[in-house]
Amino acid sequence: MFLTRSEYDRGVNTFSPEGRLFQVEYAIEAIKLGSTAIGIQTSEGVVLAVEKRVTSPLIEAASIEKIMEVDKHIACAMSGLIADSKTLIDKARVEAQNHWFTYNEKMNIESVTQAVSNLALQFGDDDPDPGAMSRPFGVALLFAGVDEKGPRLFHMDPSGTFIQYDGKAIGSGSEGAQQALQEVYHKSMTLKEACKAALTILKQVMEEKLNSTNVEMCTVTQKNLFRLFTKEELENIIKDI
Amino acid sequence: MAQLGQPLSDYQRPHQVHFSPYDFNGGTVLAIAGENYALIATDTRLSQGFSIHSRESPKTYSLSENTVLGCCGFHGDVLTLTKTLGARLQIFEKEHNKPMPTPSVAAMLSTILYYRRFFPYYTHNLVAGLDEEGKGCVYSFDPVGSYEREVYRAKGSASAMLQPLLDNQIGGKNQQGYVVQPMPLDRCIAVVKDVFTSAAERDIYTGDNILISVITKDGLKSEKFPLRKD
Repeated sequence: MFLTRSEYDRGVNTFSPEGRLFQVEYAIEAIKLGSTAIGIQTSEGVVLAVEKRVTSPLIEAASIEKIMEVDKHIACAMSGLIADSKTLIDKARVEAQNHWFTYNEKMNIESVTQAVSNLALQFGDDDPDPGAMSRPFGVALLFAGVDEKGPRLFHMDPSGTFIQYDGKAIGSGSEGAQQALQEVYHKSMTLKEACKAALTILKQVMEEKLNSTNVEMCTVTQKNLFRLFTKEELENIIKDI
Repeated sequence: MAQLGQPLSDYQRPHQVHFSPYDFNGGTVLAIAGENYALIATDTRLSQGFSIHSRESPKTYSLSENTVLGCCGFHGDVLTLTKTLGARLQIFEKEHNKPMPTPSVAAMLSTILYYRRFFPYYTHNLVAGLDEEGKGCVYSFDPVGSYEREVYRAKGSASAMLQPLLDNQIGGKNQQGYVVQPMPLDRCIAVVKDVFTSAAERDIYTGDNILISVITKDGLKSEKFPLRKD
């Protein structure tokens, strides 16, 4: 890789002779520096759990937000350059509201992900249109939600590629976490089991000791839609693992 | 009488030319929602003043498997509106991997109409189809997008003649002890033929034929019925 990248990793929209876009590949690498986020899809609903890196005791942990509500029925977890996600989440929220306004129905999770992935690809060096980025986004997203097709979980990376998963881990601990997910996941998993599994796996891959302030977890279900866990609810699950 | 050698008076006088971008091409549409079907009927006459442009111009447009639009008024606007809707439906299907449900077609039509709030499409609209539970649904619109779901509604040239008959025959309005119950399809078709025949007697913009379309879970079926041709 060192030999081949030479000059071709300068421009964001220049292919190398082997047909690679280095800046996009580097952006995908940037995700691996981010904190771990896990998503599990069950028949009851989807759970998202993220690690928060509280690097100083003076940090107000509640101010680190890595799970966001896109619409009442869609949640999003992120890893990488969190600031980059702001533009993407804004886009997702606007698209979801526009869809409701025009069609009087909830937007599908796949359609929201598609809309965001279109934005993720609109980067370029020269005279970018307002709102577009000059570099690829350095953030990966997990979209979780419920729609007419049931609970759904999508992963999107900086290249704009998005794939549906039953279980997916992103961020620094993703390799170990993905392995652990494959071992623990089964189709008939309950949501409660999935919540516990997500936190158990986070505990394994986190550097700090897992507690109710350095993780964030939410569920999206047909009945309760988007719901963020409170500190007490987290503590209740953590004491069992 | 103008004097010889004097200029004609109407030749001299300045007169104002009005901007008139609209015309009225007649036509009537009618839709009824049943338990597991929706019916939408139209006459097939297209006219302008005392002349008939076409005797074979139905004002219903099938938008998808289970949605039909009834659209009459100014035919130019009808053509543009139906073309726009067709395009929007195709885009939706490609973008979201599903056909647009009838309630969403209605919501979208409302926004399309409202975007022309200050230069509206001169169209009377009805949307008929099946909702997500498979029940018949009918949505009626005003020209600028206010809409509501209804059980039966007539729109267009003879609507004022059809609606009271429907109120009586389907709605059971102002009849003491009358219990409104869902109407079987064959009775519904008979009522539609009767009310259109009556309207064709009095309204010169309604006539020639009726095209009755019925939407059920098995798809769309149409039948034709003759009306007065004069």
